[in-house]
Amino acid sequence: MVARAGESRTARPEGRVVARFNAPRAARVEANANGAPLEVNHRAVALVREEWRVVDRWWTEESVVRRYFEVVLESGENTVVFHDGAEAGSIVGGADDARPGAWAPSAPRGGGWYTQKGA
Amino acid sequence: MIACLTIPGLDLKAALRRTPTLALRPAALAPEPQGETLIGPVTAAAEAAGVQPGMRLGEALATCPSLALVEPDAAGAELAWEEIVHALEDAGFSVDPASLGVAYFETRGVERLYGGLEPALRRALAAVGTEWDARIGAAGRRFAALAAASVARPGQTVVVADDELPQFLAPLPLTLLPLERGRYEELEALGVRKLGQLAGLPGGAVAERLGPDGRRAWGLARGGTAARVRGRRPPAAVAASLEFPEAVGNELTLRRALAGLVETALARPERRDRFLRKVALAARLESGGSWRRTLTLREPSADPDRIRVALSPRLAELPGPVVELRLELVELTEPTGHQLELLAAGAEDRSRLRDGLRQVRASTGSGSVCTVVEVAPWSRVPESRALLVPKDE
Repeated sequence: MVARAGESRTARPEGRVVARFNAPRAARVEANANGAPLEVNHRAVALVREEWRVVDRWWTEESVVRRYFEVVLESGENTVVFHDGAEAGSIVGGADDARPGAWAPSAPRGGGWYTQKGA
Repeated sequence: MIACLTIPGLDLKAALRRTPTLALRPAALAPEPQGETLIGPVTAAAEAAGVQPGMRLGEALATCPSLALVEPDAAGAELAWEEIVHALEDAGFSVDPASLGVAYFETRGVERLYGGLEPALRRALAAVGTEWDARIGAAGRRFAALAAASVARPGQTVVVADDELPQFLAPLPLTLLPLERGRYEELEALGVRKLGQLAGLPGGAVAERLGPDGRRAWGLARGGTAARVRGRRPPAAVAASLEFPEAVGNELTLRRALAGLVETALARPERRDRFLRKVALAARLESGGSWRRTLTLREPSADPDRIRVALSPRLAELPGPVVELRLELVELTEPTGHQLELLAAGAEDRSRLRDGLRQVRASTGSGSVCTVVEVAPWSRVPESRALLVPKDE
């Protein structure tokens, strides 16, 4: 696999540089009142195929609360987006850095929408 | 303005079309074969006798011993709802059907066509017809429109202006909010019975006590957010059905019938070589009711074997013998959207790949070529399952 430019990396003690695989990327998502996506990065959602929640590491300071949606865009592309944090009902969401495709260096914090492969 | 058209008890009304005389007697929609024994919507006569929708069957029969149970007709209700939505679309409205018996549409685009908001809403009611006791609420926001529709009488339209919204919502019951049953009871125990009472509480306190669902309900009680209404794409009207000479309960026979239906539906000229994205399998049951399941395919396909394999497991969910099986192609895609593999499996030339990677490494420097190393494949958090580790040789 060829690493992409701008990918977040972490230096390991022995000096090898590693990056997370399938790390989430900030996305611009417009959602309806129920929190389901209507647009992902300005591309309209044709249908929501599946929805699920992931709650993990709740026993740590960095708990993971995500609401995932597998959607099919009007272009026919399948994509998975999730809303980070408990407030999944917002209408227009974006990560703190809401530039589409911006790299999230670690587990996303503080709410916002992300796309993710391998979910 | 956003308008919300509601038809309370649509599934009961659809089922009663087979036995219209029951409409004037105490009757209720029988519980689903699987699941809790809770009755569905009830007729006005049953309500007058003290029977409420969602009651336990035993309690309902004890309250009203003459209560007649109407077999659910899920496919009939879906079909009737589809006709209603279609009638609205024919009248020029771009409709977003939220659930069975509830649809939203924007009036802005058609107000000039019909000469104002009220005439447009009357036109929508006329398109649906008087048979269904439809009612319409209109407001600046979706939830407010739904609330307005909930207080409208059959055939009536209620319009709520933005400045009247808090006063309008305040006396309405909490049951309008999409909450779990236990939550209403929890709120009632706290003395909160009306939307206005909930809206008056601090948002943070509500979120702390009731969680994200409660917080969302609190937001709705204050009018909700100003989401746009997006009209649906009208479904494709391609279907194939098979009527059996006698009721069939044998799964093998049903599987064969399904295979035949898939072939027939795919051969329909209306499909025009398009791929299937969403299909529905419906059945008319021997008991008089009906059954329907929809399925979205992971990838659009026109391969009969693939569609048959995807649909076959649904046949096991049939609650009883079937007299008619029907396959509907609900959503079709253009054939150009089919994604093919760039390289056929096993066709990789490993030595050429290695050479290519060496060139990449040489031109971009050490660390640019990585390999995926699984570190916690069991993790529920996708990015924790594997790491990209530089592969320097």
